[in-house]
Amino acid sequence: MSGFLRNCPTYLANGLLVGCLYALIAMGFNIIYSSTGVINFAQGEFAMLGALLAYQFSTRPHLPLSLAVLVSLMLTALIGLAVERTVIFPLRRTPIINMIIATIGVSIFLKAVARIIWPEEAYNVPPFTSGSFTVLGITQRYQGIWVILLTAASVAAIYLFYRGTVAGKAMRACSINRQAAELSGINVSRMSMYAFSLSAALAAAAGFINAPAASYGMGLSLGISGFTAAVVGGLGNPFGAVLGGLVIGILESITSGFLQVVLGLSSGYGEAVIPLVLIAVLLFMPQGLLGRGEKIRV
Amino acid sequence: MRALPSAGSREERRVWLIKALPPLFFIVLISIIPFIEGSLKSIFEIKFVLVMRTVGIYAILALGLNLLLGYAGQISLGHAAFMGIGAYGTAILSGKGVFGVHLSPYLSIPLAVALTALVATAIAPVLRLKGHYLALATLGFGLFIYVVIRELKQLTGGNTGLFSLPKLPLPFVQLGSMKQSNAWKVEYFLIWAIALLLIAFARNLVESRPGRALQALHHAEVAAEAMGVGTASYKAKIFVMSAALAGLAGALFAHAQGSLNPKNFGVVFSVNLLVMVVVGGMSSVWGCVAGSAFVVLLPEFVNNTLPHWLGRGKVEMGANVEGIVFGVTLILVMILMPAGITRGLSDLFRYRRNPLRNPFRKEAGL
Repeated sequence: MSGFLRNCPTYLANGLLVGCLYALIAMGFNIIYSSTGVINFAQGEFAMLGALLAYQFSTRPHLPLSLAVLVSLMLTALIGLAVERTVIFPLRRTPIINMIIATIGVSIFLKAVARIIWPEEAYNVPPFTSGSFTVLGITQRYQGIWVILLTAASVAAIYLFYRGTVAGKAMRACSINRQAAELSGINVSRMSMYAFSLSAALAAAAGFINAPAASYGMGLSLGISGFTAAVVGGLGNPFGAVLGGLVIGILESITSGFLQVVLGLSSGYGEAVIPLVLIAVLLFMPQGLLGRGEKIRV
Repeated sequence: MRALPSAGSREERRVWLIKALPPLFFIVLISIIPFIEGSLKSIFEIKFVLVMRTVGIYAILALGLNLLLGYAGQISLGHAAFMGIGAYGTAILSGKGVFGVHLSPYLSIPLAVALTALVATAIAPVLRLKGHYLALATLGFGLFIYVVIRELKQLTGGNTGLFSLPKLPLPFVQLGSMKQSNAWKVEYFLIWAIALLLIAFARNLVESRPGRALQALHHAEVAAEAMGVGTASYKAKIFVMSAALAGLAGALFAHAQGSLNPKNFGVVFSVNLLVMVVVGGMSSVWGCVAGSAFVVLLPEFVNNTLPHWLGRGKVEMGANVEGIVFGVTLILVMILMPAGITRGLSDLFRYRRNPLRNPFRKEAGL
């Protein structure tokens, strides 16, 4: 027990960093969900593409890391845009479930393509700053600071975009009522395009700050955790997603530490924590931490 | 001879024939496959008996999910877990043994199905949730069961799984002592007999009083409630039945395969099941067969038939091409036949309509 307590700050710090990744992915989920109603199963694959593209541009053309990351961000956003135009747009007159299944198709497709280009099991994405430091008994990589900074910057950027720009306001209008938004002259289909490229870019960021690990198969678990974070924060609320991500990350880290150190269970059980939290949140507070309750009228 | 149910006018007879023809055609097709297996193998390079055995098992799973999703309108992303409970239930009871007792599969299969139904009853309260939230809750359930199966190593063998499970039980026939290829054929017929019986059962169910109640609660839950349909209890019942079907399919899978691995019961498979239902056609009983055939046969075709026809080695094409073709085809089916393959086919053959027209265009009001 004392060992567990001593390690608690480390668990907390690790959880915070993982939570930042989840938050970025969850934010993307909610941006797409709020403006189109679609749950994007390819979100984890966007993160995978972000990481592997950053790896590619920093090794083969050997660009400086900052440039490689920027190129990866823009390319992934473009892929998100292409996905919206080629898959979601033609499906706009079908039930939502068709779009969701189509995003499953997209995720299978992207994973297969990535596997052809990057067939190895693991690639090393260089961290922004290598090395580590120790504060208050917690040893962390310098990359951890970048993770927090980048997440904070992304959240701030999305906030400013939503509050300050016409496109952002239009997207919020779509999330409140798509039909009314369309009637008041908002190009809903263009908003869906923006939403996909924006959230692809966010996922890409989550992918490459997760240095050094990257592989074609990394999308699934990131996607599921991000998904959970999105629901815990309140589906459709991009800022709730940040809170949801942090809560999930920290909870996962601390409970799996507890299971291992105190109860002596294998670390595999840690993976059962997220699903349990998911079910509990859904049953007892389905509106999430920051979501608005929905009133259903007959 | 018993009079046909449509002994009336010529027109009625014609309609009946058109309705009865596709299932009859399908049953004939299913029954001749094992007898022409050799020539099919030389054309397509696919072991059809083995592959179609899997399609039969998946069709039972898809049927269960379709009753829930297509008819009652309740989604589940946790059906692979129910399949896993059924599969591991019977495998542990009959193959691995509990306290040294090995039950006969005749007993262990019903027990495993009952266990699945029990677990489904226990988590039926999640059906209070709707839409995406229900999808997520069942996804969480599926993940949880997957982790439990993987981590309960003493019982389930963990990641290595369970091996040398007993064969499917049959009176008069000992599958274990047969030639492997003959045993596969017997299993094939057994599984398809069960699948077709269940399909017939599902057809009758959806056209019975409870079936109409389910469809009513799908389209207008409040209206159904107001008309005296006990929506909560109907939802719970169909959920448990759907889970029990998944458990049965899992049990058949365990005995047919002879080995189990937790990988077969993860979230990916739950998602695949959803794909089967939607691609085959929601609220179409035959869609389950079409959807599971799509999910199983397309990769087989890409991996075996295409290299054979193009005269290339298997390795050259590999699993990557499979993913690309599968992903693209999935997207195309969703765009071109949004109501599923069976709806597209029936548009073409029964109504002579363009199969690629979008049946949702009017409903969406766009």
